[in-house]
Amino acid sequence: MKLLHPRSWKLAFKFPLAITAVVTGVGFTIGAVIISQDWQRLHDELNEKTLLIAGSVAAAAPEAMLRHDHWSLFQSLKKMASRPARDSIETTVITAMVLDADGKVMAHLDPTSHPLALPFEPSNALEKYLLKEARDARVPVILDGGWSSRAGFLEGVIPVFSDEKYLGLVRVRLSNDELFLKAQRAALTVLTVTLVLVVLGSLLGAYISHRMVRSLVAITEGLEAVSRGEVADVPLVPVQDNDELGALTVAFNRMAVEMAEKKLLEQELVVAEKLAALGRITAGVAHEVNNPLAGLLNCIDTMKKHPGDTEILERYLPLLDKGLNRIRSIVEGLLVEFRVEAVPDVSDPSCLEHVRELIRAEIDENPIDILWENNLGSSVRFNGMQTQQVLLNIMKNSVQAMPEGGKVSFRSYEDNDGIVFEVEDDGPGIPLENRNRLFDPFFTTKPTGTGLGLWIVYRLVESMRGVIDVESEVGVGTRFRIIIPVADA
Amino acid sequence: MRLRVSVLLLLLAGFGGTAAAEEFPKPLRFGLTAVVVKENLRFLDRWAEYISDKVGRPVEFVRRRSYREIMNMMSSEDLDFAWICGYPFVQKRDPEFLELLVVPVFDGKPLYQSYIIVHADSPNHDFDQLRNKVFAYSDPESNSGFLFPQTLLMKRRETSKTFFRETFFTFNHADTIEAVAEGVADGGAVDSYIWEYMKVFRPEITSQTRVIEMSPAFGFPPLVSRAGVDPRVVSRMRDVFVDMANDPRGQKFLEGLMLDRFATDTAKLYESIRRMAEKVGPAPPWLTGMEKK
Repeated sequence: MKLLHPRSWKLAFKFPLAITAVVTGVGFTIGAVIISQDWQRLHDELNEKTLLIAGSVAAAAPEAMLRHDHWSLFQSLKKMASRPARDSIETTVITAMVLDADGKVMAHLDPTSHPLALPFEPSNALEKYLLKEARDARVPVILDGGWSSRAGFLEGVIPVFSDEKYLGLVRVRLSNDELFLKAQRAALTVLTVTLVLVVLGSLLGAYISHRMVRSLVAITEGLEAVSRGEVADVPLVPVQDNDELGALTVAFNRMAVEMAEKKLLEQELVVAEKLAALGRITAGVAHEVNNPLAGLLNCIDTMKKHPGDTEILERYLPLLDKGLNRIRSIVEGLLVEFRVEAVPDVSDPSCLEHVRELIRAEIDENPIDILWENNLGSSVRFNGMQTQQVLLNIMKNSVQAMPEGGKVSFRSYEDNDGIVFEVEDDGPGIPLENRNRLFDPFFTTKPTGTGLGLWIVYRLVESMRGVIDVESEVGVGTRFRIIIPVADA
Repeated sequence: MRLRVSVLLLLLAGFGGTAAAEEFPKPLRFGLTAVVVKENLRFLDRWAEYISDKVGRPVEFVRRRSYREIMNMMSSEDLDFAWICGYPFVQKRDPEFLELLVVPVFDGKPLYQSYIIVHADSPNHDFDQLRNKVFAYSDPESNSGFLFPQTLLMKRRETSKTFFRETFFTFNHADTIEAVAEGVADGGAVDSYIWEYMKVFRPEITSQTRVIEMSPAFGFPPLVSRAGVDPRVVSRMRDVFVDMANDPRGQKFLEGLMLDRFATDTAKLYESIRRMAEKVGPAPPWLTGMEKK
């Protein structure tokens, strides 16, 4: 049903249709005007001719009428009726008559039906009306016997006078038939020409609109490809004309090329960034691992120099232990992503209680309040292990950021975007210059930090196809918001 | 009007004629009326040529619509000869200016009739049934086309006005036949010679008519000469007409006219017409007035 609505029609159809409609409308309007003018002209000519013919009979009539010369009146009617037409309209005299002042027939082309010297008998209402009009006429008039129909006629009436005495009248009827035929032929010609013009116009319209729509379709397809992200290989649309559509096509092509170049650049940038990140990680790892390694090597060197010195052994063994542990934690942090990804897990919100307990332990003696608000329904499912790790890392940061005490609030709920976890503190906040590097690996502001906590958070959220954002104001506090899509049950 | 034109022509002819009379012989003017079928213009030209050759003087035919016109031209010496009808011939003239030249012989006799005709499909079979109908006369001074039907009316103690609904004159027998054939008139009175002639040459017209009454035989419309014309010329002219039957060229014209020959005869031939005319009386005044209109 919707397809039938003009608004849902294709432009490729609407456009030629509109052009055809306009061409047809204009064509037929002009055609109709020409036909009606032609008809009017022919009709006027016939009017004139009718009067002329009737006049030719009437000219010689007065004398013959006075003399009751029925024969010469009849002959002049007959001559008039048989006279071949010399002008544009072939006319047929349907009937003609001469009536005297009393309405009696003085001459009639059909004498058997209308005998002489008897009153003219009208055969129907129209005839009666015409007879009355004709007999009342004192100047030449044209009477209408249904001129708009093919069977109609025009009647020329000429009153005949002699010395201002009314003698009677001459009535001549010309058939409309030839007029109709002629008008019909003219109309047919006009209609044919119009039809040919309409067809040509429509074809031209269809061709033009086809060209226009082809560009539009190509551009639309290109834009759809762009919106699907297939930026790299958007086909270029050939530029046809130097008009608005051509300009649009040029602009689209330029955009497509630029987007392809940008995409390439972006891909290169991503690779470069990855390489840079890899470099940073490698450098970080090297640096982080190098520091304890230097201490460890130092210890081992000293222990080598003093073999059997238990005091040194006792003093240095814990240092070795500490240094190696640090290296292990660094390596563990680097491995966390792969480890967690390998363990898909679907949990319900109760798993968050575990986080709460761990944080309580972390707070220990610190005067920190925990506000816990878990609004998730028990039917909600998500990756529990990864979420626990994410929340734990964030909350640990909050707790560590507030050695003098403060407040950490946790809130979780579900909305249209997915499952939302919010962790908010009223700690010192993150300075603006650090915010961009917050999730970089090995970026840390803590003397003993590995700089991997938030990086791991970022990687985990990403692996759950979630988003994380941070709002922070120095001296006011920080809020992390993590939104992850609801896991498929 | 026509009279005035005739007078004008006469004056012109008169003034021009006297001056040129010695050098060029004045053409002999021969008046023709409805007695001759009107369409044969080329035939008449050739016949005039033939007569000129035989007479030795130029001869021209002068055609007029009515007998009255021809008679007026005769009386005013505008014509020298004429082929008229028996009715004008027998009318009283003082002084008499007509002399009988020759009489055509048609179908073996110098006689013809008046036919009362109706349309072939007409329900009318005798003259009485034409009461209150439209009747066509040929010429008010025609014997067959007017005078005879007047006698029929007289017998019934009627006149044209009382008997017929309407009458009109065609001034030509052929036209009367046509008027009846066309249905313009319900009946008409025509010259039997013209009707028979038309039956041969225009059968499509006569076949639409039917003869319902025939008159007794009358003297055939005569050829006459004007009294003032040189008797030698008249005599020569009479010989030419009489000799036509003996001349192969002349016979062609007789065939064309459907006549046997031209014969000499006396005015007694027209006695029956004269008696008829006396009975009927002079033409009614409205007929006389008509010509002047």
